[in-house]
Amino acid sequence: MARREQQPGIILRLCVSLAMAVGCGGAIAHHSFAVFFDTQSQLRKVTGVVKEFRFTNPHGVVTLAVKQGGHEITWRAETNSPSILRRRGWNAQSLHVGETITVEGWPARDGSNYMRLRAVTRANGEPVGTQPTPLKE
Amino acid sequence: MRAHVSAVLMAVVLAALSGCAQPHPPAPAGATSPARAHPDFSGFWNLDMKVPRDPQLLAQVAPNTAFLDDTGPVEFPAGEFGGLKLKPAALEAARKWSPYEQLKPENACKPPSIVYAMQGPFPIEIFQSDKLIVMKLEYYDMVRIVFLDGRKPESDYPHSPEGFSSGHWEGDTLVVETTHLEPATITNNGLDHSENVRVLERFKLGADGKTLLSTQEFEDPQVLDNRGVRFIAWSKQPGQHVYPYECDPGFAGNYSPPGEVKSRKK
Repeated sequence: MARREQQPGIILRLCVSLAMAVGCGGAIAHHSFAVFFDTQSQLRKVTGVVKEFRFTNPHGVVTLAVKQGGHEITWRAETNSPSILRRRGWNAQSLHVGETITVEGWPARDGSNYMRLRAVTRANGEPVGTQPTPLKE
Repeated sequence: MRAHVSAVLMAVVLAALSGCAQPHPPAPAGATSPARAHPDFSGFWNLDMKVPRDPQLLAQVAPNTAFLDDTGPVEFPAGEFGGLKLKPAALEAARKWSPYEQLKPENACKPPSIVYAMQGPFPIEIFQSDKLIVMKLEYYDMVRIVFLDGRKPESDYPHSPEGFSSGHWEGDTLVVETTHLEPATITNNGLDHSENVRVLERFKLGADGKTLLSTQEFEDPQVLDNRGVRFIAWSKQPGQHVYPYECDPGFAGNYSPPGEVKSRKK
């Protein structure tokens, strides 16, 4: 928190940069992206089997069963607003339970197995939906 | 429920618009009907942050006003308010603000007021007549009605996220004043306006008619020592319509306040 107060513009500029690159902020509905997700660390990439896919506003959520060592853990990935994603080729049937996918996104600041989704690819490498158009030049 | 209310409201409004849209009596040669004398804002508009700020609109902004450069996906971090000068009580409230409050099930689908909603990265659809203008926001299924007939709100008019909006034309610019807004966030980081906030918006078309330009000024002496303004612009996308938002409060179940975080680690 102290660092934010000393350098208030950095996080703002970072979010602008992310918006320019991938439209991360376009995902923001009513909770602050920068507060909950770590935009300064590397993107996380996780492969797993879809257990549930909720495609409702303010954000959709994909729940994945992920093998880790000899165990199975659960990851969740929060999507952009579905009403925005619909214009990028998504719908409620874009992901199917039992399907293996790879999700990439910004990890939650609290260290939990939760991320803000940037991109999804199917097992055959096919991307789900289209990437957002840059919002600023 | 909110989507249902919005749908009913839209039906009533569209019926009113339909009535307003009845053909005008034939005008004498050389005359122009009031509706045709003004720019047509009708259509689907998507937020467009590439549109340059309009100097003419910004020149009309009142003195002592901070320009908030947070339109669209950009958001200020905690403790930054874009030049707004907060009253001590508002500053203290912002310091105590917890982002988890808005992620409780009872709050997850609560719409903000138009102060925050208009600048969000969601499209709007406008229906226009010479008596009123309807703005349907995709964000939280919000529906704004701007009365152009000079009516005033009743003494007991309720406060809401959309408030009461009345507008008039100043040349090609639509000037809209909104009051009766429920207290809600200004910057999504702990700064809320009061129920006495007053919002003044100016809307006009860009030179090519394909962009809609606006300034959103607000003043709230109960909360702020100065005023704020945003520049907001949209690009027209023919053939598209605003989608239902249909918010699901179950989304809040993905979030736990600090101290309960471990419950999410499974």
